[in-house]
Amino acid sequence: MKLNDQAQNLGIRVGAIQVIAFVFLAILGVRLYYLQLVKGEYYSDRAENQRIRLIPIPAPRGAIFDRNGKLLVDSRPTYNVTLSNEPIKKIDITERLEDYAGGLNVDRQYLVERINLIRKQPGFETMVLKENATIQDISWVEAHAEEYPELHVELQPQRFYPLGKTLAHVLGYVGEISPKQLEKPEVVEKGFRAGDIIGKGGLEQSYDQHLRGKPGYKKVMVDSRGRIQSEIETVQPQAGQDLVSTIDLDLQLAAEEQLANSATKRGTIMAMDPNNGEVLVMASAPSFDPNAFVTRIATPEGRKEIAGYYTNEERPLLNRAIQGRYHPGSTWKIPESIAALQQGAITVKNSNVVCGGGITIGNKHTRCMGNHGSPPLSYAITKSCDGYYYRLALKMKIEGLIEMIEEFEYDKRSGIDLPNEKISQTPKSWMPSVIKNEGKWSDIRTVYASIGQDTVVVTPISMLRAASVVGVQGKMFVPHLLKEFKAVGAVGEEGDPDYVPAKSSFGFDRPEPKIIEMTPEQNKVVLEGMWGVVNGGGTGARLKIENFEIAGKTGTAQVASLGKDVGANKDHSWFVSFAPAYKPEIAVIGLIENSGFGGSHAGPAVRGVYDAYLLKHHSNLLDGQQMAKK
Amino acid sequence: MVAVLEKRNIRDFDWLTAILAVSIVCFGVWQIYNAQPTETYWSKQITGLFIALVALVVIAATDYRRVIDYAPIFYVLGLVLLLLVLTPLGVKVNGQQAWLKLPVIGQFQPSEFVKIPTILMLAKYFGSRKLGNLQLKEILIGGLILAAPVGLIMLEPDAGQAMTYFPILVTILFLSAIKLRYVVLMVAAGVILVPLAYYVGVQTGNIKSYQQERINVILDPENADPRGYGYHTVQSMITVGKGGLSGIKGDTETSQAKLKFLPEPHTDFIFAVTAENTGFIGCISLLLAYAMLLSRLVAGARQAPDRAGMLVIMAIVGSLTFQIFINVGMALGFLPVIGVPLPLMSAGLSAVLSTFIAIGFVISVKMRRFVN
Repeated sequence: MKLNDQAQNLGIRVGAIQVIAFVFLAILGVRLYYLQLVKGEYYSDRAENQRIRLIPIPAPRGAIFDRNGKLLVDSRPTYNVTLSNEPIKKIDITERLEDYAGGLNVDRQYLVERINLIRKQPGFETMVLKENATIQDISWVEAHAEEYPELHVELQPQRFYPLGKTLAHVLGYVGEISPKQLEKPEVVEKGFRAGDIIGKGGLEQSYDQHLRGKPGYKKVMVDSRGRIQSEIETVQPQAGQDLVSTIDLDLQLAAEEQLANSATKRGTIMAMDPNNGEVLVMASAPSFDPNAFVTRIATPEGRKEIAGYYTNEERPLLNRAIQGRYHPGSTWKIPESIAALQQGAITVKNSNVVCGGGITIGNKHTRCMGNHGSPPLSYAITKSCDGYYYRLALKMKIEGLIEMIEEFEYDKRSGIDLPNEKISQTPKSWMPSVIKNEGKWSDIRTVYASIGQDTVVVTPISMLRAASVVGVQGKMFVPHLLKEFKAVGAVGEEGDPDYVPAKSSFGFDRPEPKIIEMTPEQNKVVLEGMWGVVNGGGTGARLKIENFEIAGKTGTAQVASLGKDVGANKDHSWFVSFAPAYKPEIAVIGLIENSGFGGSHAGPAVRGVYDAYLLKHHSNLLDGQQMAKK
Repeated sequence: MVAVLEKRNIRDFDWLTAILAVSIVCFGVWQIYNAQPTETYWSKQITGLFIALVALVVIAATDYRRVIDYAPIFYVLGLVLLLLVLTPLGVKVNGQQAWLKLPVIGQFQPSEFVKIPTILMLAKYFGSRKLGNLQLKEILIGGLILAAPVGLIMLEPDAGQAMTYFPILVTILFLSAIKLRYVVLMVAAGVILVPLAYYVGVQTGNIKSYQQERINVILDPENADPRGYGYHTVQSMITVGKGGLSGIKGDTETSQAKLKFLPEPHTDFIFAVTAENTGFIGCISLLLAYAMLLSRLVAGARQAPDRAGMLVIMAIVGSLTFQIFINVGMALGFLPVIGVPLPLMSAGLSAVLSTFIAIGFVISVKMRRFVN
């Protein structure tokens, strides 16, 4: 056929079709050039990102020991059922929750809450659906591997607190990082992600970064449904460092027993080595079980238990030693006495101040418990003469009291290595609002402040710290719980991109004391007074131990006005002390809430700790009768 | 088989076209293996190639003019097959009743084969017309010839296959002296009406949201939901891009197809597999092979002894070009996902066989160029 014979430009039309075909193919070629050569690397990266998964290998969290190597906190292996995000991106997960809840025997509502919570967070890859999976749960997940490829079983070391409520406030607990914490940029910068376990409260929180270690990971290749096809590499985790605390578990148990047997079962006992600030005992009652926050948080019962801790009026989560604030009562007289000597309100030679059985300011009479004439300082301490301190404080003026507050750092935290320590409240902190409301700071407030009432509420730790000074010539240490972090070895070969260097052992970072300036004579006068409290017929006479002389001070802090101080409004009972008086090895403070007179409640509780201490370290000093009792 | 060919026939047989087609299929077999190494698609494709070669030779040896004479019979037979698909004899796969299972013959896809009788029917009708400008009546009859199979295929429903029928009519009308102003008018109408129809369809809800999604991912692949209906397009683009200049070179562990990120890797997305494994070099070679094949066909059309033969070849050219463009354009992420196989590459006996039959016709036409 001769195309050009035709009248319809047939040859041209056939050519046109050919050209169109070539143009189409050329378009494809250009597009190919763009995708493969211009954007090749970009798509190559995208392909890699979607097929590579990093499966974290949790680092074993460091254990916590007492000073003698007794185990306080450990981790034990548990299995978690986890949910991967990748396979469920394309499906509506809510339809499956019913199956999960049934198969794993968990509350459906709990799953809904968890998934809603975690979906809001960017970059979530896996989350724990159920901790402590049972054999039944594990086999259910495995039996449904084809149906629900998003579910996995993972070995996860879980924090375990073998002592339960013992030491709970000191140890704290661990839990999943909260969404609120993850909103903070500094938290995200450190590489924390949703689902990470972090320390919450106590040493777990304070030293989280050393306890937690560095997680490793397994790099795997997955298919489009998230199923692992092959392993590419494994980077081992670096274990967290083991923490040796300053706590002496034997003494701690003795202290907790004392609290448990106390009148109200509410209070705190704290013991410290006054020579270096190492905390030997920190007991607070009532207490809580940290395991509730770790192993039982996923169960309805566990969550009820935790909610109970928050709503309980006795506040079991409160660490009374550092977060409780109480009128110190007469224990306040110890730092006050030192300050009076420092400031020259009294001198060693002439320390007598009139008692007068009380004082009348305006038309208001504030009484002393007795009439002590015009006693010297040590006698006033021994007998806890209020009248003496009323007049001493008026002599020092409120400015003198504030100077003392600053000297003994009642306007600061002690600096103990625990989170959420409270600062005491004092005339210094109250003054602005008092002057605003009343126009001036009246003498009666100074009088009340002189015996640790009214505007004075302090933490037990601040009182122990200040009173200990008397035994160690003015050295005021930062109380601390860290004795030593153990070293851990390096992971990998040096020069590797994943190499993690070894971590060396270290101790508490602020071991230097603050020096409270006083002459040996001044120190001696106060010490004599404290010695007399127990050994010289003072307010703590019944605590006397032969051959192990305790220097101390009782305190009976009024909670309600006279006449109303019964039942729940009974006085707080204090006793602060150290022993042996002239070469102290241990300082102990006790506070029993709403129990009454210091010498009758806090004193015996503190004595219980000394007994345990003696039994352990100086059993030769105990006489036969005492030994038999133990 | 050689016996049916006379000596002269062997000399005139268009070896180059046949070799090109076979080469592309062989290249395709390799890619099918890359896509699904653990399945038997690639070996089935080899079997298919042999069957298709026999068919090609037989068709080439037959005088196409005889076949065109019987075109109405084949056409009716084709329509019967398409009707049978819709009966319980049809087999439903992925919601589409596009397959027919017959005793002895086995399972096949009639919509692939019916293209040929439709081409023959149209070629017969338009090849015998008198000279002069195309009449409206003729256009309508051509439209009706096309509408019957297309309508039946839409009932399956297989919109992708149905679409591949339109270039046949368009090509034949274009070559049947349709006035150029109509062509211009139709192109202009298309440019205006297609977006308008899409807009109206979206507004009235006739275009479903998943269909919209497929369009949206083309317009803006980075912001479309990569987990929704845009998933296929995005994954295909990733697979193509990943191939780079020369492919993944034996790093088969990371194959997008093997890891199941790329859907339908051995059929609809075989081009993406090719791109991943052989890179830009392999893909351009493949496109050049297509270009050569199409050129051979067009050259054959120019030498065709009669109008009908020319129309048959050019309709096949139009259909193949359209399918290649739609399929590769989809794999390259600038055309929406439509289930159209890539000629000679995608796994599937029906598609290879029907394409080889078509090429057989082309060779038959070329062999008879000196007869008159």
